Amino acid sequence: MDASLRSAQRLLDRWAPTARSTDGFGPTLETLPRPGESPRLVPARTVEGGPVRARRVPGAPEVAFGAFLDGTQQTHVLRHECTVPIVFGTAAAVVRVRRNRRLVTWGRGPLRDGRFYVPRALVSDAFWTQVAGLGAMDTGAHLGPDDQGIAPDGVHPTSLAERALHFVQAKREQLERTLAEDWCRTERSPLYIDGGISGSETVARAPCSVGVVKAHRTLYVGPDDLPVLATLGAGERTTAFRLAVGRRTPVLSWYLRCRHAPGREPTWGLVRVEVAELDAAAVTARADEVSRWVLAETAPLALPDPRWHALAYGIRDCEEFLRAIM
Amino acid sequence: MSGTGPDGNGRAPGEPAAWPGTGDARPPLGRVVATERRPNTPHEFHFWTALDASVGIGTIVRVEGRHAINGQIPTVYGVVVEGFGYTDLQSPLYDVLSADGSPAQASRAATERTEIRLYTAAVLRQIPEEPLQPVPIGDVFLATDEDVACALRMDAYLARSGIPIGLYHAGGTDAPVYLDADFLLGPEAAHLTVTGVSGLATKTSAVEWLLASIFTHFPAEKGSIAAVCFNVKGPDLCFLDQPSVDLSDADRALYAQLAVAPDPFANVRYFAPYTPRGYALNTLRSHEALAHNVAPLVWGLREVMQFADVLLTREDLDAKADALVDFIREMVVGRQFTDGMLPRAYEVQSFADLDEWFRDVLRALEKHNQESWRTHHVATIRKIRNRLSNIAQRCAGLVTNDARVSDLPWGSFVDRTVYVIDVANLEEDAQDLIFARVVSKLREHLERRDLGVNHVVVFVDELNKYAPGDGPDTYVRKMLLDLAERGRYLGLVLFGAQQFRSQVHRRVVGNAGTALFGRMDADELATPGYAVLSPAVRTRLATLEKGQLMVRHPHFTQPIFVRFPRPPVLSGRIGAERFPQAAETSLEGAVTRSLRVLDPGITLEWVKGVTALYEPAEILRARANTERERPTDVRAYFKAQFRAVVPPKPVVSQPLGVPIRAAPTDDPYGF
Repeated sequence: MDASLRSAQRLLDRWAPTARSTDGFGPTLETLPRPGESPRLVPARTVEGGPVRARRVPGAPEVAFGAFLDGTQQTHVLRHECTVPIVFGTAAAVVRVRRNRRLVTWGRGPLRDGRFYVPRALVSDAFWTQVAGLGAMDTGAHLGPDDQGIAPDGVHPTSLAERALHFVQAKREQLERTLAEDWCRTERSPLYIDGGISGSETVARAPCSVGVVKAHRTLYVGPDDLPVLATLGAGERTTAFRLAVGRRTPVLSWYLRCRHAPGREPTWGLVRVEVAELDAAAVTARADEVSRWVLAETAPLALPDPRWHALAYGIRDCEEFLRAIM
Repeated sequence: MSGTGPDGNGRAPGEPAAWPGTGDARPPLGRVVATERRPNTPHEFHFWTALDASVGIGTIVRVEGRHAINGQIPTVYGVVVEGFGYTDLQSPLYDVLSADGSPAQASRAATERTEIRLYTAAVLRQIPEEPLQPVPIGDVFLATDEDVACALRMDAYLARSGIPIGLYHAGGTDAPVYLDADFLLGPEAAHLTVTGVSGLATKTSAVEWLLASIFTHFPAEKGSIAAVCFNVKGPDLCFLDQPSVDLSDADRALYAQLAVAPDPFANVRYFAPYTPRGYALNTLRSHEALAHNVAPLVWGLREVMQFADVLLTREDLDAKADALVDFIREMVVGRQFTDGMLPRAYEVQSFADLDEWFRDVLRALEKHNQESWRTHHVATIRKIRNRLSNIAQRCAGLVTNDARVSDLPWGSFVDRTVYVIDVANLEEDAQDLIFARVVSKLREHLERRDLGVNHVVVFVDELNKYAPGDGPDTYVRKMLLDLAERGRYLGLVLFGAQQFRSQVHRRVVGNAGTALFGRMDADELATPGYAVLSPAVRTRLATLEKGQLMVRHPHFTQPIFVRFPRPPVLSGRIGAERFPQAAETSLEGAVTRSLRVLDPGITLEWVKGVTALYEPAEILRARANTERERPTDVRAYFKAQFRAVVPPKPVVSQPLGVPIRAAPTDDPYGF
């Protein structure tokens, strides 16, 4: 456990001595089972002409990424003020830049944030005053334009904890976005971002940012295209498509199979790549180029991480770095 | 944070003059780490560094603690004894998979795995020394010159009695390392052993260098010092007074840093017995150009009898024989001896006299039909006569039948002088006799404080042979043990060298306060005596370059690696090429060579003319007397040693007298 978490624990001992204590720090909320997003298919419009089909990436893998970006978070319920969970969340993000084939931290170092996540309306004024002085975040506030706040039945302790978790997640995304935007403003070499890039307009439009998504609960293909995806060979990509989700910035995307996957589940070794939109005439060349970059990051392996088949070593290095400093 | 400066260790442009909170201008080299499975202790700690940090086995580092103890920030000095390097790879198979089984492909990977250099250091010193606590977490710095002095506790004796042994070199730091004269040459501790494989210029070179350092830096207020070196093999020590021809600039720089002049020994005297024929000295230093300081080593009965035990085996020397030897030593040799049973008075001065005395005793016993004389049985007398009489044959060249003696200058040893005794070509018995007598005499004179110097370093190579850990308890081993255990009180210091320390008697090596190690044999390093060293230190010992040593000294809590320069003297190998051994010559040639040292004008023809009429024994005696007396007029003195001999005159034919008239055959009366 990190020092800030212990400090938070000590502060709570002082401010809320009667609060119901948890049994130690316990597992983080991120590790607890929770209902996830339902798997779904969302067909997207291809931009290379024709339906979704497999395309072999021409040429040898090419080392081009100058850096890798990833973030992480840890959320703990430290106490319960009556039934209200007092959550302490830590989020961090880092860019690890590659110099002489070794990864070192870029710029001013990682971004870290640790604070209390408490629904203001559900705790005493005195307690809120104390934690607010340390920058506590009110989890009763709206998380985004689509967020309705705490529903009447949302005061269930578990719901409140999950809501806090979403706030911590948003903080992590904000840190990642900050770093990505800094990179795009100051650097030229391509940045390998773990996850999508459409959350930030600056990043989504930057030619140097490449988002690589490993999770596939939402597949941006139609039911008829699934066989293409399932039989995609190593070093092959799908036809590129335009991805425009809600208020997010539209980006160019395609699926890429990084490793041979005979006999494995369909998404094994599969990543979805996001880059900034560009003219239709340049899409194929761009998709092939970036695919070569991504394929170059398949070695060294990110083992023993269970996601090693789709996880770049540079991203694993970011995770290990953040784990060391959290 | 962990990176070094652009010069490897120095300060990069723009870096602060002093690293925050440390007073050190250089950035930290590493950082102490401790885990539950690998905790720090008061005697050991672990730290990691950048991959390109100038750290290796033997590097001295300084740890700056972060929290004050009793108001003082702790500083810990340590020496690296082990190193580890690993990556985040959990199984080698992962690397194979990464590269599809192709090593070439692995080396082309875009990113190299995260890698660590983790070192283990043994604590040399903690400040404050109390309370003694586990090494704190903190920044690790390369040791500076001052740090090295402090870490090795040299600050306590540097100004008083420091003897440079070499240069500690690591990461841009070149710090002289000093031994404490009080712990090297007594009285606090003493003695030194040097261990290393043969032929790598470690043992002899190290001792030659150290003697030069001692002669330069031994404090005058501690008295005078000399060295007695036994040259036991080849020409190793035969050219100590000749300058080296292969000193490099680096060597000269080392000499300058260690404040020792790169000059050969100014005062060296050589001693060697004669060859068994007795004509020439039995040494590789027989070149005429080097003869000026070579003297014969010749002993007679009186010198040998005191150490007869050395030459008598355990089987010979039972109680009865021992009693008879004691009797002869105490009552016969060098005294007027009379006995009612013997025909005359005796004054036994030489082996020849002794043999005559034995002969008369045995004859008397036969004449009187007795089996014992003065409680000594006739068989014992015969045995001891046999054993003692052949000593001169067994040690021919060293021991003479007559009474002439040429010995070391007992009582007039000179400060900062090396006395080399060349025993390389002698039989084992003669070597043993020389070791025993020389060391015993040194001890006697130092006890009486009349040797001429206050301290003597005795250098003996091949201690494996002379003081082995197993085998029979020889007189020489007993003498070396005695020297090792009690010599330091007298100022008698043993510098021993051996290839296999494990095979030297443990009381000899155990009493050596200082130990030097050159490159070691792997088999030797596998013996239990080296178990205290880490595997990495043992590996370094097995791969040490020429000119590198590992030093153990009472002030150093851990062994330290140093560099030392080539010795300032001509090496034995080169010396033997430059000054080849003089060929075995005739008696007259050998005498000429000896006398030329005293009078360069003497010629072979002159010697032949003087010695033509005399027996070899007489000629050798005359040479010995002349060498001993070193007269002003060498020619006259040498000639005077011979008895007068009337030269034979040729027979002149003389005319016969008047022949006697022949008698007539028919006149038998001659009328």
